[in-house]
Amino acid sequence: MDIFWFLTFTVLLAGYFALEGFDIGLGVLLPVLGRTPAGRDRLVGAMAPFVLANEVWLVALAGALFGAFPVLEGQALSRMYPLVVALLLAWIVRDAGLWFRRRADGAAWRLVWDGALWAGSAGLALAWGAILMAVVRGLPASPLDVPAVAAGLALLALLAWHGRAFAAWRLQEGARGSGRALLLSACAAAAPAVLVMAAAAGHMLGNAAPDRTLSVLSVMVVPIAPILVGAQVWVWRTFSRGALPTFF
Amino acid sequence: MDVVDLARAQFAVTGSLHFLFVVLTLGLAPLVAIMHTRYAIGGNPLHERMTRFWGQIYVINYALGVVTGLVMEFQFGLSWSGLSHYAGDVFGAPLAMETLLAFFLESTFLGLWIFGWHRLPRRLHVACIWLVTLTAYASALFIMVANSFLQNPAGAQEVGGRLVLRDFGALFTNPALVFALPHVLSAGLWTGGFVVMGASAYHLFRRTPEREFFTRSLRIGVLTAFAGSLFTVGFGYAQFGPVGSVQPDKFHGAVPGISLELMILIGQLGQFGVMFVLTPLLIRDVLARSRWMHPLLMLVTPLPFVAAIAGWIVREVGRQPWLVYGRLSVADALTPGLTRADITASFAGFAGVLGLLALVDYVLIARAVRRGPGRVMLGAADVPVTAEPVPARSL
Repeated sequence: MDIFWFLTFTVLLAGYFALEGFDIGLGVLLPVLGRTPAGRDRLVGAMAPFVLANEVWLVALAGALFGAFPVLEGQALSRMYPLVVALLLAWIVRDAGLWFRRRADGAAWRLVWDGALWAGSAGLALAWGAILMAVVRGLPASPLDVPAVAAGLALLALLAWHGRAFAAWRLQEGARGSGRALLLSACAAAAPAVLVMAAAAGHMLGNAAPDRTLSVLSVMVVPIAPILVGAQVWVWRTFSRGALPTFF
Repeated sequence: MDVVDLARAQFAVTGSLHFLFVVLTLGLAPLVAIMHTRYAIGGNPLHERMTRFWGQIYVINYALGVVTGLVMEFQFGLSWSGLSHYAGDVFGAPLAMETLLAFFLESTFLGLWIFGWHRLPRRLHVACIWLVTLTAYASALFIMVANSFLQNPAGAQEVGGRLVLRDFGALFTNPALVFALPHVLSAGLWTGGFVVMGASAYHLFRRTPEREFFTRSLRIGVLTAFAGSLFTVGFGYAQFGPVGSVQPDKFHGAVPGISLELMILIGQLGQFGVMFVLTPLLIRDVLARSRWMHPLLMLVTPLPFVAAIAGWIVREVGRQPWLVYGRLSVADALTPGLTRADITASFAGFAGVLGLLALVDYVLIARAVRRGPGRVMLGAADVPVTAEPVPARSL
């Protein structure tokens, strides 16, 4: 049972980076790929219908951590306190940028919230890089140092590449086969997280909740899992092609 | 303030901000779903405009519900790791279900609903907003299950200094839950009803051209507030019995005592006002035509929000000094080694950023109300994927 929940956790984490990874990457590249306001609208329009379905993987991940590995949840979050706070603030600022950028008129308004979208996305990538590095090193007392920053920058570059692959595929700008390139970049974006989980496997399995709790979780979650997957597939079938929505 | 006080204040501020937006989400979601259904069945363009206008208000409000909720979810591990250590094997289960089952689907279906105009078949599109409503209510259920466990740790047993789950069903039949859940859901309806009522009163008072739209909306708002207030008050009084049996001295402190009085004052006067004044005035649209009443309707719109926060203060402050009632104190649940600098910085960051965004969000909601149904972005036309029109090839 603990192996099942460890695998669930790993799938959620890998899924988060494969999916939300391109939203973060595209946010980072916003000023580069979208030089004009119209160009940025186009990029945001490409990712907009996916963001709500993508970011929620991390919410589910945190819930799975609390439900199946409660002791680790307390340990990990509190040991990485400044990194987790930074991650949350970056996430909030990124989301505010998305939700607010078209809610009022005026070039200055749009520029402010595009800036929030960019800064939040960059903050998310940097914080995640540092967090993955901290987990690999067994949650050191001071998780903010040179290797943490280096990991952050490396992840930022990786996700930016992934975001670019997504934009090329969705906006039909790349050569043929851009779908395959997107699949490749998605695997690459998820790879660091999977490696980190492999390194942390022993520690996680030793700290799972008791079987009774895990059974209850399984009984509730497993029957609904096909609906979760179905809803995600529905999003991709609906928004992969065609015109770009304009709400975000 | 010491570290515990700061961590408590951070939780109270972010939690209150979260609930201000959640309570409106819970109330508006079913209203928008009903409007959309009526449009899908009858095809009346007025119903489509109502769906998009009130749907946009709902969606703008939802944004802040999400970002404040993120902080809530992670705060348990950040500030209160003693809770996950002592009670995580029980308390974590409903929280995991809220995120994995309810919120995961709510967010996914809301994305389909927001961006699915002109794209999804009408019936499936309506199904999305109903699924959003259903999963929002499921979220409320799981969160209230988790909170009720803190109020009265039913279904768990202490083994070796930690709580273990003995009876999962007991979490759902907890006396701290059974009347509190419908109380919260009805309070959501009341809040949604008052917001619809207040915004409609604004347009009727200003004599904007949307007279029919807002006369009908006013009726929906008042009737929703009628049902919501009736059940909020009913399930509120019904809680005195169970609360007296699990937390006998809950209302003894000054803060919970005053908050309780404020909530009951707003609840009782508000409910009487809606039942005996506003609802009868709906006959022959007297309320919509009584222009002098409209500023009053706008003025009372915030009252359900005030009552909702007062209600949470009663429930949470009345539990002190316990985090898990009778088992784990708030001070013992604090993350060991959490420094004053840590908590001060995160408190300033979260309260500053979320407070500012909440302010911006309310301004945007007010702006969307003022602009009226004629200028709604939700459901606006999509744009073609090609950046510039491809020039025609010359021969």
